[in-house]
Amino acid sequence: MDEPGVSLDLARKAGYTFTLLSDPDAKAIRRYNLLHPKGGPDGHDISRPAEFLVDRTGTVRWTNFTEDIRVRARAAEMLAAAQAIN
Amino acid sequence: MPNQRANRPLWLGALFLVLAFLVGAVPFFAQIPGQQAIPWLNPLLGAVAVVFFIRGLLLAIRQPGLYRGKAAAWTLTILSSVLFLFSLFAYYASRHIPDAKAAPQMGQKAPDFELKDTSGQPVSLAQLLAAPVNSGKTGPQPKAVLLVFYRGYW
Repeated sequence: MDEPGVSLDLARKAGYTFTLLSDPDAKAIRRYNLLHPKGGPDGHDISRPAEFLVDRTGTVRWTNFTEDIRVRARAAEMLAAAQAIN
Repeated sequence: MPNQRANRPLWLGALFLVLAFLVGAVPFFAQIPGQQAIPWLNPLLGAVAVVFFIRGLLLAIRQPGLYRGKAAAWTLTILSSVLFLFSLFAYYASRHIPDAKAAPQMGQKAPDFELKDTSGQPVSLAQLLAAPVNSGKTGPQPKAVLLVFYRGYW
C-alpha cells in the first residue's frame, strides 16, 4: 500500500535488489482478492500476506497463504518451489 | 531470621517473564529463524510466568514467616497477567485476517496487473514474466516470478 517513494526508502535501507512495486490504491491487492479492509494500523485498508510463484505461462505454481500475519513463507520454502520449476 | 527460604517461584517467574519479553518485544530475538514459525511462544512463556508468580504469591501469603516477597509477588503477578493478556490479544489479532479462498490458487492463471516500481515506472506482471526491467536494466526471461504481498516489513 506504500507509495513508490516510501518503497524506495525501504529498498535502499534493506538493500533490496528485486523489483519492488507500490500498490497505494490496492489495485493488484483487490485483483488477487487479498484485501483486508481496515486491517492496517490506523484502520487503513491493507493486504493480507500472500506469496505466489508464477511460471512463464502466467500460471500459479505455488502459493502460501499464512493464517498469522507474523508467520511468512520462509526463503528456503520459496527457493524449493522455484527449483521445482524447469 | 531463622528458617527463611528463598521464594524460588518468584525468581523462576521473573526468568520466564524476561524470556517472554525478549521473544515478543525485542526485534533481535524476534528475527531468530524459527521464532516466527511459533507465534504462540510469547503467550506460552507469559502463561508460565503467571503460574510461577501465583505460586510464589500463595507461598508468601500462606507462610509469610517462611517466604518473603509478598508485595513483589502481588506486583509481578498483576504485571505479568496484564502482559500475558496483551500478548494473547496480539496473538489473536495477528490471526484475525480474511481467508484467501478467493485468491488465485495453484493451477489458475495469475491475473495481470500494472503497478509503479520505486522509480515510478509502471511495471506489469506480463513484463516481469517476459523481460523484467530493474534499475533500468533489462534481464533475461526468468523461469518464474515470485509475487510477495507483504504486510509489515518483515
